[in-house]
Amino acid sequence: MPYHEFECSKCIPERKLHAVVKGPGEDVTDALPLGYLNTIPGSISERGCAYCGAKHVIGTPMKDVIHMSHGPVGCTYDTWQTKRYISDNDNFQLKYTYATDMKEKNIIFGAEPLLKKNIMEAFKAFPKIKRMTLYQTCASALIGDDINAVAQEVMEEMPEVDIFVCNSPGFGGPSQSGGHHKINIAWINQKVGTVEPKITSDYVINYVGEYNIQGDQEVMIDYFKRMGIQVLSTFTGNGSYDDLRAMDKAHLNVLECARSAEYICNELRVRYGTPRLDIDGFGFEPLSASLRKVALFFGIEDRAQAIIDEETAKWKPHLDWYKERLKGKKVCLWPGGSKLWHWANVIHEEMGVEVVSVYTKFGHQGDMEKGISRCEEGALAVDDPNELEALEMMLTLKPDVIFTGKRPGEVAKKIRVPYLNAHAYHNGPWKGYEGWVRFARDIYNAIYSPIHQLSMIDISKDEISTENGYQTQKMLSDVNLSSEITASDTLKEYTGKYDCLAEIRKREYPEFTTSAKAVNQ
Amino acid sequence: MEHDMQEKTEQLVDHIMKKCLWQFNSRLWDREKQNENILGKTMQILCKEPVEISTSADKCYWAEAVTLVEAFQKRFLWINTMENSDIKILIKNLKERMDYLTIKGSLNAELTDTQY
Repeated sequence: MPYHEFECSKCIPERKLHAVVKGPGEDVTDALPLGYLNTIPGSISERGCAYCGAKHVIGTPMKDVIHMSHGPVGCTYDTWQTKRYISDNDNFQLKYTYATDMKEKNIIFGAEPLLKKNIMEAFKAFPKIKRMTLYQTCASALIGDDINAVAQEVMEEMPEVDIFVCNSPGFGGPSQSGGHHKINIAWINQKVGTVEPKITSDYVINYVGEYNIQGDQEVMIDYFKRMGIQVLSTFTGNGSYDDLRAMDKAHLNVLECARSAEYICNELRVRYGTPRLDIDGFGFEPLSASLRKVALFFGIEDRAQAIIDEETAKWKPHLDWYKERLKGKKVCLWPGGSKLWHWANVIHEEMGVEVVSVYTKFGHQGDMEKGISRCEEGALAVDDPNELEALEMMLTLKPDVIFTGKRPGEVAKKIRVPYLNAHAYHNGPWKGYEGWVRFARDIYNAIYSPIHQLSMIDISKDEISTENGYQTQKMLSDVNLSSEITASDTLKEYTGKYDCLAEIRKREYPEFTTSAKAVNQ
Repeated sequence: MEHDMQEKTEQLVDHIMKKCLWQFNSRLWDREKQNENILGKTMQILCKEPVEISTSADKCYWAEAVTLVEAFQKRFLWINTMENSDIKILIKNLKERMDYLTIKGSLNAELTDTQY
């Protein structure tokens, strides 16, 4: 598996060890990109900082909490809103963001009094909210503000509130991944085991590494509830602060994003003996196997099978409609971390697309082992790419669509490559059976959008046809398909609602018999 | 025969590497335990031998093994007609190959990072 040298990075020879091409018959023991290292000087990468990883990825999806950053206002603004981790309490955690707004004089004279004032003001402004997460930033960390002491002082003065302190300043690691690690460990050290939960089922799980992007968590929780499983907490999407304090009481940790949250699962395993089961919530086959695994653990396979059969029968004809139209399309799978391995194989098998490249902004070598193993031959795998490398890949690989973040996505648009937002989605949720079809629809719309076709025309030199005044996605996608496919009665285009969560939120769940042991706990 | 067994082993390896996650836990000792327990239980299920599931950890390994066996039996029909003695050789080869790919031959420098 040869390392790959980008033309644009020849002046940064160290970069060569961060990219490989998966050759015929080769595997991850032949070559593996370096990973989770400091970004090489001269390479402007697409990473976030450790504060962002702690706050934006893991802390702020918690829904019933004031999320306060102790630092200049830009830190909190740049870690607000964009990830669309919604919640079922009217998106409280997305609507508001809080910063102490440190200034030059605070750097010189200290900002602890400013922090205390802000905490008190925030609790006063939102009197129903009694929980807070408090984030260190580079500025407050460097001047040595003792935010733990301030939090303790407030909790003594206001015994009804509880504050979690996260010491993960921006410089605390090579990328946002350093922050994921820090907040995982801080949460279990400070908060787990401090609340006694009400146990209502014989089958109790924590759902870990799930951030409810456009409702992913609610889709998965719906399946678990239909199986009679109590989801004690979700770490952290749509999760409740006090539920997460009781993580030690679950029977099983079901882990989705191992990149950002395996740390707390590993600690729960060591400290409380709770096992970790890694699952894939994306794609029909991986999701079905995942539901079945969780059910097997509890001995309730029949309940999982009923869901798998019902959902597959309902949604598979829709998935196959898109598969016929996406077959052979080239995609670049360029997310932050875990989605490169969640999607690399299943998107090829179930949607028929060819993954020509995977990259990760903050993944570790373990993520590359998973991602490269799941790719087909010929894929170019890159760690911590810079913008010029991404441009070079798009120009040479000529993908039909890329899945990445909004900043590299905007760069892609400028060279007329359509992109889908891998972090925050377009028309999610993308997890679950219906969600996977919605993802297929988004890919289809990205590739075949008539507007995108128009953007390919260079009005400064291309001749503009006046013949084709009207086009639709379907006119473009079906032009080379056989009538057997276009007229099929079994294949169905997706016609689901814009908001597919409303019905889930109203659903009533079956009551299963629960043992006296569970009820009395 | 040997070539046939090697080819069959590689089919199972390819399935695990593309469909499973358990083989890639982030610590070396954890990968050893995962490979040993999940593939050990896989062999026992295929050979219809008793499987230990008294602890939560065992139940987890067993759940992974059951789903793996189901996938093997559905995708690789030849496994359903194999003798137990051959299944044991097959899974032994599979474990050796998995140990190489994920532990002994792994280029992942983080597996032995003491600062984790």
